[in-house]
Amino acid sequence: MKIELEGLTNRVPGTGDFITIDYAKCNNCECCLIICVMNLWRKKEGKIYIVDDYQSKCLECAACYQICDASAIKFQYPTGGTGIVFEKG
Amino acid sequence: MKDFDLIIVGAGPGGSMAAKTAAEKGLKTIFFERSRKPGEKNSSGCGLGPRMFRDFPEMMKELTPDKCPSMRAGTASRNYFVNNDDIVSGYIMARPTESVSYEPAKSWITMNVYRSEFDPWIAKFATDAGAELKTSTLIVDLLKEDGKICGVIDEKGEKYRAPIVIGADGVISTVAQKSGLRNKWAQNQVTLTLQYDFQAPSDKIDDIMGDETLAVWWGSNFPASYQVFFNDGFHQGLGNWMNWWDKNPLYYLNRVINLKYYQRLLKILDAKPRELQSHLLPWLDYPFNTHTDSVILIGDAGGFPCPLEAEGIYPAMVTGKIAAEVASEAVTSGDVSKATLKRFDEEWQNTSIGKEFEAGCELWNIWKALPFSPKETMSWFVPMIMEILGGIFDWSQPHALRVRQIISHVKSYMPKATPFIMTYVFPLIAKVFEDDLDKLMDPKKIMKVLPKLLDMLPQKKKKRGG
Repeated sequence: MKIELEGLTNRVPGTGDFITIDYAKCNNCECCLIICVMNLWRKKEGKIYIVDDYQSKCLECAACYQICDASAIKFQYPTGGTGIVFEKG
Repeated sequence: MKDFDLIIVGAGPGGSMAAKTAAEKGLKTIFFERSRKPGEKNSSGCGLGPRMFRDFPEMMKELTPDKCPSMRAGTASRNYFVNNDDIVSGYIMARPTESVSYEPAKSWITMNVYRSEFDPWIAKFATDAGAELKTSTLIVDLLKEDGKICGVIDEKGEKYRAPIVIGADGVISTVAQKSGLRNKWAQNQVTLTLQYDFQAPSDKIDDIMGDETLAVWWGSNFPASYQVFFNDGFHQGLGNWMNWWDKNPLYYLNRVINLKYYQRLLKILDAKPRELQSHLLPWLDYPFNTHTDSVILIGDAGGFPCPLEAEGIYPAMVTGKIAAEVASEAVTSGDVSKATLKRFDEEWQNTSIGKEFEAGCELWNIWKALPFSPKETMSWFVPMIMEILGGIFDWSQPHALRVRQIISHVKSYMPKATPFIMTYVFPLIAKVFEDDLDKLMDPKKIMKVLPKLLDMLPQKKKKRGG
C-alpha cells in the first residue's frame, strides 16, 4: 500500500520564506536530505538546496534545522497565523 | 509598548496552565500563540495520563465529549511483537492491574484527544481567569534593557514588557535561544516523531478494538511504533533520536503500515489516511538550564517530557503551574533574579515529574537500547520473548520435551541478552529499589553463574517409574 501524501496536509498560505541555507557554512553532509519527511532538500551538482515550493509542503518540524551541525540551515517559524494546520494532531 | 506582570510565550497546555495560574493570582498576564488558535500547530502528545485527572481534578472533570468530541478512554493496551520477517508473532493485551491505586487509573490507562480540540479547551481556563490570549503572533526576540530581559518582541516589532517571561514555546524555543539558556539541543536530546492520522468509523473502532485504544508495535525493522485511537480515527506513529535515521523516516513508518497484519486491520476498520504530521520532541535523561534572570522554561521548551515514553502534556501542566507560582512571588517581591527563580527547580523536583526524573538516566538508557534500537536489540528480543510466551502453547512434542527445547533455544539468545540485562536492566533495578546491586552488576560473576544455572534446567536426570 502506498499512501499518497497529496491532500494529507492543510495550510494557511502566505508564510513568506522561513527556511534558508548559508552556503558559507554548509559542509555537504547531506543529513538534511535524509531527515526531511517530505523530502524537500535536494542535491544538484554538489550543491544542497530546498525545493522552491517548500512553503506549500513543509510540516514545520524543524528537523533540518536541528540536524544541521554546521548551523547552515536557518529556520524561523512562519508568520503568525500562516503555515501548516494540524486538524487531527 | 504594553506592560504586563507576566508574559508567557506559547499557548499549549503548559502555557495555558501557567497563564491560568498567574491570572488567578491577580497578575496581569498575556500569553502568545503563533497559530490562529491553540493546538493548531501541535501533533502527538494526545494521550492524557491519569495523573492529570488526579492532580487537576476540577479542570479535568469538565473535559466532556461535547467540548472535545475526539476523546476516547483507553482501558486496555496492546503490545504487538513483530518478528524479523515482518510477521506479527504474538501480542499481549493488558488492562489496569490490581495494584493500581486510584481512579481513574483503575478504569483506564489513557484518555486520547486531538490537540486541535484539547488545547483551545485548556486555554479557555486561562482567558476565563482573566489572562489575555494573543493569537496569530510570532514572538521573535526578547526585549532587553541594559542587558536585562524585560519582555518580548513580536515579528511586527511590537514590544511587550514584563519582569518575567515564561518560555512555553516548545521544542525549538525562541525564549531559550534568546535568553542564552540553550542555543540548540544536542542530537541525542531530541527525537523526530512522525505519524499518520487515519479516519475510521467510530462504531468500527468500538466493535473491533473494544476498549483497547493504545497499542505499541515492537519490531526489528522499525523503531517501536505507537497506535492511539480517538473517537473517529487513530494515529500511527514512530520516532527516534535525530542521529539514528539512515533513510527517510517515512520509510520506517510505511514499513509498519505495510505489515500484512496492519493492512488487514486497516481493511476491517475501514480506515483511510487523513493527515500526515511530523514534529520534534525533546527526550532527556534530566532537564537542565531551566531558568535564568527573568526567564523560566516549561514543558517541551524546558525538556520535561517523560524520560521513558515522552508523555508531555502532564509535565507541561505541572511545570507551567509551578513556574507561574514562582513567578508570581518573584514579581511581587521585585526580585526576578536567577537565584530567586531557582525555586522553580526545587518545586518541580518535588513533584511526580521530579520523581520520574530521579530514574531518568536509567529509563532513558533502556528506552534507547530497546525500542529505539530495532536492529540491534529487537531482532533477538522479539524471537526470545515469543519463544517463551508462544513456545509453551505448543503440542508438537511431549510437553516436558517442549519445555527443554524452549529453554535450550532461549539459551542461544543469552550472549546478546546477558550484556543487555547487565548494562540496562540491572542499573534500573538498582535505581528502582534504591539499592546497591554491585554484586549483581559484576558481568564476570553473572556470566560465570548464568550458563551453569541454565545448564541445570534442561537436563533429564532419570526416567520416572522405570
